[in-house]
Amino acid sequence: MASIGIDTFFAPLPQLNASLKAREFSAEDLARAFSERLRQLGPRYNALALPLLQEALRQAKEVDKDLKRQRFRGPLQGIPYGVKDLLALAGQPTTWGAKPYAGQVFDYTATVIQKLSDVGAVLAGKLSMVELAGGGGYRFPSASLTGPGLNPWDRTRWAGGSSSGSAAAVAAGLLPFAIGSETSGSIVTPASFCGVTALRPTYGLVSRHGAMALSWTLDKLGPFARSAEDCGLILHEIAGKDSKDPGSAGKSFYYTPQYARSMKDLRVGYAPADFAEWVEPATRPTFEAAIGVLKASGMQLVETKLPEFPYAAVLSTILAGEMGSIFEPLIASGKVEELADKPQIAGLKASLELPAKDYLKAMRLRRLIQEEAGKLFGSVDVLLAPGRAGIAPKIDQPIDRSRGGAPPKDPGFRSIIPMGNLAGLPALVLPCGFAGNMPVALQVVGVPFSENTLLAIGREFQSRTDWHKRRPPGA
Amino acid sequence: MKLTRRKLATVLVSATAVAAQQPAPTPAPAPDDNLKAARDRLQANARALATTTIPMDTEPAFQFKA
Repeated sequence: MASIGIDTFFAPLPQLNASLKAREFSAEDLARAFSERLRQLGPRYNALALPLLQEALRQAKEVDKDLKRQRFRGPLQGIPYGVKDLLALAGQPTTWGAKPYAGQVFDYTATVIQKLSDVGAVLAGKLSMVELAGGGGYRFPSASLTGPGLNPWDRTRWAGGSSSGSAAAVAAGLLPFAIGSETSGSIVTPASFCGVTALRPTYGLVSRHGAMALSWTLDKLGPFARSAEDCGLILHEIAGKDSKDPGSAGKSFYYTPQYARSMKDLRVGYAPADFAEWVEPATRPTFEAAIGVLKASGMQLVETKLPEFPYAAVLSTILAGEMGSIFEPLIASGKVEELADKPQIAGLKASLELPAKDYLKAMRLRRLIQEEAGKLFGSVDVLLAPGRAGIAPKIDQPIDRSRGGAPPKDPGFRSIIPMGNLAGLPALVLPCGFAGNMPVALQVVGVPFSENTLLAIGREFQSRTDWHKRRPPGA
Repeated sequence: MKLTRRKLATVLVSATAVAAQQPAPTPAPAPDDNLKAARDRLQANARALATTTIPMDTEPAFQFKA
């Protein structure tokens, strides 16, 4: 077996693929190295739900045969990866991070896994998550079958949720990339807390066939990776029409960095209150420096306000209505009591009592929100906000802890996560520095199907900074 | 039916004994605080939704496409 050094575990996808083509190491060598690292270090972060070493080696051997015959299938060929344990893999356990489903096995495979397999990517393991993606309203990081997701930058802190394992595994160099999901914040939050680049695609761009449903009209799948460039390469392969997903937008995505708009043409909407008042004081210098980098690249930063709506209430009501219907059998059977988090159990039970009129009212308001979001993007190209207002909380703290003191009067983009998810907007998370030893990140949000613009901004930012290349201590 | 004093005393003693065997009525279970909080959140959300006027011709976004 060829020697694979520590730098390989943090290498970008094009470099790994080039090394495979140049026979510096084989796909089998790479799969074995990452799988062993994932098996050994994954439990250190409670990031591993299911190792798939033998399956990975079998796939990798097929890739090596293809490479030997010069059958090239794209930049992900031979690259190991992981998926959040809410994606079905035929014949293997899919727990949804929850005890009542610990023995669940499907006889089919999620479209996104199939697509990645078709281009030669090698599935090395399934990754931990907050139970049932946290839809019931969990209060503590311990709300998971595998225990609280631990942050590779400081294991006394949370990795974020609900795609905890996907973010932690990429941050710690256990995998080159991973797939996670977002209903409202489950990609943006763990990516921000763990300091990795991640993309929440436009609703409907990536098939959810084979994924646990939490909310049919909100759920999305997206990549966690080392850079915006890597996210673009991954999205290129996993996006596309799927008749098995009723929410599929029927569109493909072609990653086209060569056609990126000039940064000088981009108008970036932002709210100064977000960075001056809402974020934790320790993070402010980092955010100020990051905004300086964007300005230096020529982007025009424009003060902007979000349209006034009760975003969080609209999202919570829609989520409760759909989640209650989806998990009614779990709740009715009483097995809901086996979940780890008491507020989550209560939230699921209460969801069955949601009046239909409230769900419909929320869905009507959602239409107005989509219309107003469209108007907002008439004056700016993208929106810029902190990924999260602070660093990752301690694992024994409630995740909804108060920021303390009176909230600022200007709401800024405080609701950008529910607003973006209600309107189906894509978002890119970019690590932008540290507060103490913990990562801090920006999020850039665009109109539906503007992923190439977001990725161009990400590439520009990452060409001027190296925050996305930093490695956690001991990794 | 004629009820003698002896029969009346027997009935009363028996009834008391049966009553004594019944478990003391337990206080109603305390409401689940988490469930109450979850219900309160649903109601707070409903109140928040009511703050926005929705034109009659606004249909639900149930055929959601981005």
